[in-house]
Amino acid sequence: MKNRKTVIPFRFGPINGLLHNELRLKVMVALDSLESANFMYLCEITEATRGNLSIQLATLRDAGYIEVSKSGSGPTSRSCCRITRKGEDALHEYEKNLRLLFEQEVPEQINEYRKIG
Amino acid sequence: METKEELDIIAHTRSEIQARREDTGRSLFLIWGYPTAICFLAEFAVLMLWGKDITAWLWIVIPLIGMPLMMIHKRRDYERTGRRTLNESYALQLWMFLGAASAVSGFTLGITDIYSQCYCTIQGLIIATGCFVTGELSRHRPMKLCSIVGAIITFACPFLQGDRWPWQLVVAACVTIIALIIPGHMLLRKNKHEKQEDSNTIPLWPDQWPAA
Repeated sequence: MKNRKTVIPFRFGPINGLLHNELRLKVMVALDSLESANFMYLCEITEATRGNLSIQLATLRDAGYIEVSKSGSGPTSRSCCRITRKGEDALHEYEKNLRLLFEQEVPEQINEYRKIG
Repeated sequence: METKEELDIIAHTRSEIQARREDTGRSLFLIWGYPTAICFLAEFAVLMLWGKDITAWLWIVIPLIGMPLMMIHKRRDYERTGRRTLNESYALQLWMFLGAASAVSGFTLGITDIYSQCYCTIQGLIIATGCFVTGELSRHRPMKLCSIVGAIITFACPFLQGDRWPWQLVVAACVTIIALIIPGHMLLRKNKHEKQEDSNTIPLWPDQWPAA
């Protein structure tokens, strides 16, 4: 017979350090909800400065989480960002782990789970 | 950041994007609706006045007007809003596929000389299908209702054969008005109403309140 105390319904992997940043998380969630978005739209939705956003977009692009395509040249150039399959998987995994972690942090819910378990 | 804070950020960003969403298909409906209805009625008028069957090729005008208009509008829309939602993308692909299916069917029926028998039925059903799926994507019930009414009216076409076949064009024009033009205007009105409501909403935080 299983010991109830050893039944732990909270199993989560390591928290993704790349997404553990407010701005990067906002960008990823925004791109996950859209097909594509340009730089100005992301600036508006994340309320970030252009310089900061540009650095975070480069970080996410280097990690393979987003694709950035540029059209035009000079001051009229536009950046179009879209999330990749790898980025989608990473975000969903991160969100799942966060939820499990949050549930573990709330003692009442732990007791509820134990009752069920 | 704490766990709860991060979950709040995720939820807040999603709701913010949802709040800025505009209904899918509004422009597509009007861009395709008016040329299609006008084309069907023009074909009917020419057939009734002069009885020329060459008008069977008048449908070519529809994609010639609609396709460039749609491309220009989508490009401007993207530049204005700065984003494209998944639903918009699905709706665009759907209507492009249906437009191609419509053009292929028109061409094939024109060549095989059975244009007068089933062209309008096929067009009516294609329009109603497009309207229903777009209504489902937009979660807009009146649009789905319009598409069902349009599909039902389409079934009048097979009963109009022989000398009465030009009246099929009037039926197809009615289907276009019911399943494309009316839903397009309904979405336009809904969007305007929502924008007005948003501008009337008092912000939650005092620092965002307008100065007295």
